[in-house]
Amino acid sequence: MSESIRDKVAVVGVGCTKFGDLYDSTYEDQVCDAAFAAFDDAGLGPDDVDAAYVGTYLPHSQGGKAGISLADPLRLYGKPITRVENFCATGTDAFRNACLSIVSGQHDVVLVVGSEKLKDRPGRGIPRIGHQLLGKGNTAPGLFALAANRYMHEFGVTRSTLAKVAVKNHWNGKRNALSHLRMEVTEEQVLNAPMIAWPFGLFDCCPTTDGAAAAIVCRPEIARKLGKDYALVKGAALAVATGRPYYDPTFDYLGFRSTQAAAKAAYEQAGIAPSDVDLAEVHDCFTWTEITNVEDLGFFPKGEGWKAVEEGKTRVDGSIPINPSGGLKSFGHPIGASGVRMIYECVKQLRGQCGERQVKDPEIALAHNVGGPGAVSCVVVLGGAS
Amino acid sequence: MVGISSIGVHVPRSRLDRALVGKAWGRKQPPGEKAVAHFDEDALTMAVSAVLRCVDDAQAPTIDGLFFASTSSPYREKQVASFVATACDLPREILTADFCGSVRAGVSALSAAIRAVQSGAAKRVVVAVADCRPAEPDGDLEGVLGDAAIAVLVDAQGRLAAFDGGAAVAEEFTFQWRTDQGGPVQSQDARFSATHAYLRDLPEVIGRVLNERGLGTEQVAALAVGHPDARTAQDLAKAVGVDPKTGLVPSLSGAIGVTGSPDPLLLLASALERAKPGDAIVVGAFGEGAEALLFAAGEAAGPGACRPALQAAIDDKLPLPTYEKYLKYRRILGQDDTPVEFVSNVAEHREMQQDTRLYGTRCSACGLVQYPQARVCLGCHARAGLEPAKLRKRGTIFTYTMDHLAANLDHPMGMAVVDLDGGGRVYVQTTDASPESIRIGAPVELTFRRLHAGGENYNYYWKARPA
Repeated sequence: MSESIRDKVAVVGVGCTKFGDLYDSTYEDQVCDAAFAAFDDAGLGPDDVDAAYVGTYLPHSQGGKAGISLADPLRLYGKPITRVENFCATGTDAFRNACLSIVSGQHDVVLVVGSEKLKDRPGRGIPRIGHQLLGKGNTAPGLFALAANRYMHEFGVTRSTLAKVAVKNHWNGKRNALSHLRMEVTEEQVLNAPMIAWPFGLFDCCPTTDGAAAAIVCRPEIARKLGKDYALVKGAALAVATGRPYYDPTFDYLGFRSTQAAAKAAYEQAGIAPSDVDLAEVHDCFTWTEITNVEDLGFFPKGEGWKAVEEGKTRVDGSIPINPSGGLKSFGHPIGASGVRMIYECVKQLRGQCGERQVKDPEIALAHNVGGPGAVSCVVVLGGAS
Repeated sequence: MVGISSIGVHVPRSRLDRALVGKAWGRKQPPGEKAVAHFDEDALTMAVSAVLRCVDDAQAPTIDGLFFASTSSPYREKQVASFVATACDLPREILTADFCGSVRAGVSALSAAIRAVQSGAAKRVVVAVADCRPAEPDGDLEGVLGDAAIAVLVDAQGRLAAFDGGAAVAEEFTFQWRTDQGGPVQSQDARFSATHAYLRDLPEVIGRVLNERGLGTEQVAALAVGHPDARTAQDLAKAVGVDPKTGLVPSLSGAIGVTGSPDPLLLLASALERAKPGDAIVVGAFGEGAEALLFAAGEAAGPGACRPALQAAIDDKLPLPTYEKYLKYRRILGQDDTPVEFVSNVAEHREMQQDTRLYGTRCSACGLVQYPQARVCLGCHARAGLEPAKLRKRGTIFTYTMDHLAANLDHPMGMAVVDLDGGGRVYVQTTDASPESIRIGAPVELTFRRLHAGGENYNYYWKARPA
């Protein structure tokens, strides 16, 4: 492995819009709200920024395609702005690229924005894509359900365990003013909700959400001069596996290789073990996904993540709090925004600004996206400046 | 002797209890059920299913003719025989033709196949006959018409049945028709048509073919004749001089309905399952005239003549829970929920071997069979030596979901990851399945189905159904 990213990039400002059905906001509104919040948080302005990265999965008429999606809303002209798209890892990958531009010495201060407007679209926000014949009929829940059913079959897990992930994440999300689904749910409600794609009922699925989040990254010495409570990037790694796991006869469907590879690389950069992580924002697009994630990230051995959920180890007061923000499940999942929103939560947690869902004295926080499903994963490890 | 050497049958799994039709319209229906093509089936897909049962993978490369017969082809313009041949991975060097126009088309195609082999124009011709004829809701034919397909292999051996002669007459008579405007089958008064055409033409051709062979009607072991209803078949037997109880092949109309062009061939299959070598069997069909073919049962006749056994095909069924489901599946009522897609005919052409003939690639370095076709091996990353590999159409479900979100005519829609026997893993929709039958470890077979109507055309691909 070449040069590590560790301690070479600081996060000096973060911002996030309310997540939800933002029928009255434009893509431009979201970008402005998230970016201005991050600028204010950092005590910086657009003129201080050398470059920017924007993460949007689904561009449409209002924005999300190319660098102009940031340039025009923010009047940020004449600077290098790159649009990133990498399935559900879009936001974290935009952040990772921003970090690399700092490490390379090209830039001093870089803006990252993830923004997504799903609710302007028909078809529950998600278009049908893919081959005209092969795999036709796949949906996001249906694709993850293939893995969930295999996992549940192999380890004897029932829907009741999956439901406990939803109960926990909604408990956290209820305590987050920016959450999309800001309510608690009971296990019974989750189990009795309408079926979407077996084994996932409605409350096993994250919502389709509008929202944006932003972060400002810079060289650590600049962060120190600003005198703000900043976080340091310890590791940021991306891994791509097959986008067609269902055609791979060697794939056991018991975990995602992309997460495993990205986590390994990120831990190596950070010089830590999974046990050093104090909290993690992981990609709980569906309840089961959180269970495989905590295994693939090394917090629990393969086949035992579900027991950790049963034992409450992943609650805010547990041994490894998972998704204290509420996760995609409760906070919502505007695809390109989610990864940057996770960075936002991690920084807020490291600063101790999260109120009732605050994890006790965290030093290391981790953000994780996986999309595809299993095709691409990005893992970012953050630590406090102290 | 030129004749029939193999038979494959496809009866769609859905059954409509006629009592549900009676209940829907408040009028009496005869007892029994009719076989109903699933929403993703049509005459083309049913023909593919029948051919795959008639011709196994080892025989496929030896076939040099395929005739398709149906009154309900999904295409007015576009040859179905060549499509069926492609989907069944038959050779390109093959004689094909579509037969249509009346329910006599199945016997016409069989007759033509026999002449082709007799003449030496072809050696091994498959005749694929399928129908799913539309009936008017609350009309006289709604409880009557059923859907089915059969494929028979005609060759110089005639292991099941040897051809012994034929006769035909043709004369315009209006009994049942559909104009170029489409719509359900229209019918002239059934009794009048029976007395003045069906019972005139069929006895004439049956008498001629028996006379030519010097056979008396008492020597006919089985009369396998397509019929508009079971009673008219009985009348025909009497008119010909065959005992309806012993010499007439029992009608399938009670169990699966009147199936149209495949009907006489299904009755022939039924007769051959019970025949002794040497039995004389008369096959006949009516429609703007009539044609009769005489066969002598061969050494292979008897149980096992047909794949699967006809009764097993009839017994393999899933009852439709309501009449309304039938209306939806046959697209008589409601919108088609199958999503309309952009379709590239260029991509379709490029991927014909992969998508329609169902070939993956096999790595000559590590042996891994993989689908879809790839340049670089998934297993050993070899970047050369990947050869086309025909996939088997049987396998086991590795994992699955039942998806209520997917846009589809039926919910929930099963999606399955299937490990195929002999290698290769595919990801396909499931069909013909009760939700509980789709589970990890379940054996399935791949079946060719209509997938969606993108590009203002029907688009076909493989699905998995419980084996």
